[in-house]
Amino acid sequence: MATTHSTAPPPTEDGPRRPAVRPRVTRRARARRRQGALYAAPTALFLIVFFVVPVILVFRMSVSDWGLFTGDLGLNAPENFTKALDDRLFWPAVWFTLKYTVVTTVILLGLALAMALVVQESGRWSAFVRTSFLVPSALGLASASLLFYALYSPQASPFNAVLEWTGISEDPVSFLGSPDRALWSTVALVVWRFAGFYMLLLLVGLQSIPGDVYEAARLDGASALQTFRRITLPLLKPSLALCTILCVTGSLLAFDQFYILTKGGPDNSTVTIVQLVYSMAFQGSNDLGRAAALSIVVLGGLIVLNAVQFLGLRGDKDA
Amino acid sequence: MAAVTFAQTTQRYPGSDRPAVDGLDLEIADGEFLVLVGPSGCGKSTSLRMLAGLEDVTEGSILIGGRDVTDLPPKDRDIAMVFQNYALYPHMTVGQNMGFALKIAGMDKAEISRRVADAAEILDLTEYLDRKPKALSGGQRQRVAMGRAIVRNPQVFLMDEPLSNLDAKLRVQTRTQIASLQRRLGVTTVYVTHDQVEAMTMGDRVAVLKDGVLQQVGTARELYDHPDNAFVAGFIGSPAMNLLPARVEGGEVVVGGLPIPLPAGVQASGEVLLGMRPEAVWPADAPTGLAVEIDVVEEIGADAFVYGRPQHATDQKTPFVVRVPGRGVPRAGQTLHLDVDPRQVHLFDPASGLRLG
Repeated sequence: MATTHSTAPPPTEDGPRRPAVRPRVTRRARARRRQGALYAAPTALFLIVFFVVPVILVFRMSVSDWGLFTGDLGLNAPENFTKALDDRLFWPAVWFTLKYTVVTTVILLGLALAMALVVQESGRWSAFVRTSFLVPSALGLASASLLFYALYSPQASPFNAVLEWTGISEDPVSFLGSPDRALWSTVALVVWRFAGFYMLLLLVGLQSIPGDVYEAARLDGASALQTFRRITLPLLKPSLALCTILCVTGSLLAFDQFYILTKGGPDNSTVTIVQLVYSMAFQGSNDLGRAAALSIVVLGGLIVLNAVQFLGLRGDKDA
Repeated sequence: MAAVTFAQTTQRYPGSDRPAVDGLDLEIADGEFLVLVGPSGCGKSTSLRMLAGLEDVTEGSILIGGRDVTDLPPKDRDIAMVFQNYALYPHMTVGQNMGFALKIAGMDKAEISRRVADAAEILDLTEYLDRKPKALSGGQRQRVAMGRAIVRNPQVFLMDEPLSNLDAKLRVQTRTQIASLQRRLGVTTVYVTHDQVEAMTMGDRVAVLKDGVLQQVGTARELYDHPDNAFVAGFIGSPAMNLLPARVEGGEVVVGGLPIPLPAGVQASGEVLLGMRPEAVWPADAPTGLAVEIDVVEEIGADAFVYGRPQHATDQKTPFVVRVPGRGVPRAGQTLHLDVDPRQVHLFDPASGLRLG
């Protein structure tokens, strides 16, 4: 007769105890687990094919002599790494990417925070402003870059028309003509495109601060600046940390905007690391192995930087 | 410590036809514990916030210690407030929370930690000074909120329903702690609550508000024994006073066939509203008197409360409540015949609700 409960039989006086009866429930649990695995399988497959395999492939490429047209010609570690690091554009690209990252992050987050503070009151006017700040997010980065390419064009730029009309500058300004101008013009594009998004993230963080905390601060005698410094900013730390990590990682991997706006010019002054990887793989030497090696170096740098950021920005878990 | 005065204070939100607080005239003596009580939307919180400076005063004025503070920002009024949800700074420790206002004021560090330590000792918070609010229970957070107010040594304490987020047992406990703390510190306190039991047990005086208008202010005993209108009569006291329509005929009030002699010195005639508290009526032996059909009986130990419908007015929406001794309690479905103590009845004008006599 089958038992319906999975209990061990009571110990008998004579002889050793019988081992516990395996309950029927296990078969159902096993079937459930199998079912679960089947549900997860398509996504797992997708992940493996489009993520795990390419990463493994890149690792393999980085230690092989692998040309774009010649294919895999066998292992050659660590030659790819040394050649990549010795590339005359490697350190300039690293330096430029870091400079660009710092500039963009500081300006973007500062502006986004200011915008979020302005726009956090509810009201018809602020709702309109909020929406208009978010409109640029509707464009993909490449499309936005093309837009600004046209806006910066030396022949037909509407900015130049305005500058001439207001008398600020006599001759048309070449926005992408010098290394500094190219950098700042690109930063302008990126800030225009992304400020709304980061403003939104910070708005969410701002709104999670309970309103009566501000009233308590008012009663405690804090001025607007003191309230911002000692109450708002500390409580915004998690949101600011998120925005910083997103912005830094995105900026380190900047490609679209420079490829479209400046193509790395003028004179290779705006070459970012990812651009370098691209040019190693698909231009010039067409050396996939070397490009892959550089990608691995970038990956390593990103991991280190993100770890540092996590540790530094972990902030108040109790807030 | 200072007296507080509301002088015809009015608050009207732009765009609304009825003021949230309408011409409030209230004098609070130095060192007094005054409770503002009333149903939701009666204007008690708004009055408190006007006193705090968190809401604008549309008309009238507010004085603290004789000084007109109507246009002063909160930090210049020398007050401290305990919020309903405590409003503790989540990222600061208990000690930092309590010392924040002093730090802003530029007080020197040694003095700040001395004051914080003193307040922590009064409130039994000394071992929690380094914890963040997240790691505290509701009752502890409430004490931190109070501590934050105490260290400021203000002229007036403002408390906005500080007990409403605590569980029932803790509420009763904390109630007595707050009352004794206030007595010990002697600071003028204005306390807002919707719970009339809190109001009755804590305040030196109680002010009842309804729809922005002050209904009555007085000691708990005054409000209980001599409510000025039917609203106060029905609001103060739990379970509420029974209010039934009745008629005055020939020197007697007749309700449901039961004649009650008019209280001395009361002039009334025609239709009136008769108020009887649950303890002012009792089951009579003979089948005469006010007949009430029992719906529900609540036994709470020493007493029991009988809820029913008067036979002569079964369409009454609120049940008629009678307090009976805890033993020998009647059952649902029975009909009680009630006698009334003529010295404990209240008469109100049915139209205006005002007390008669």
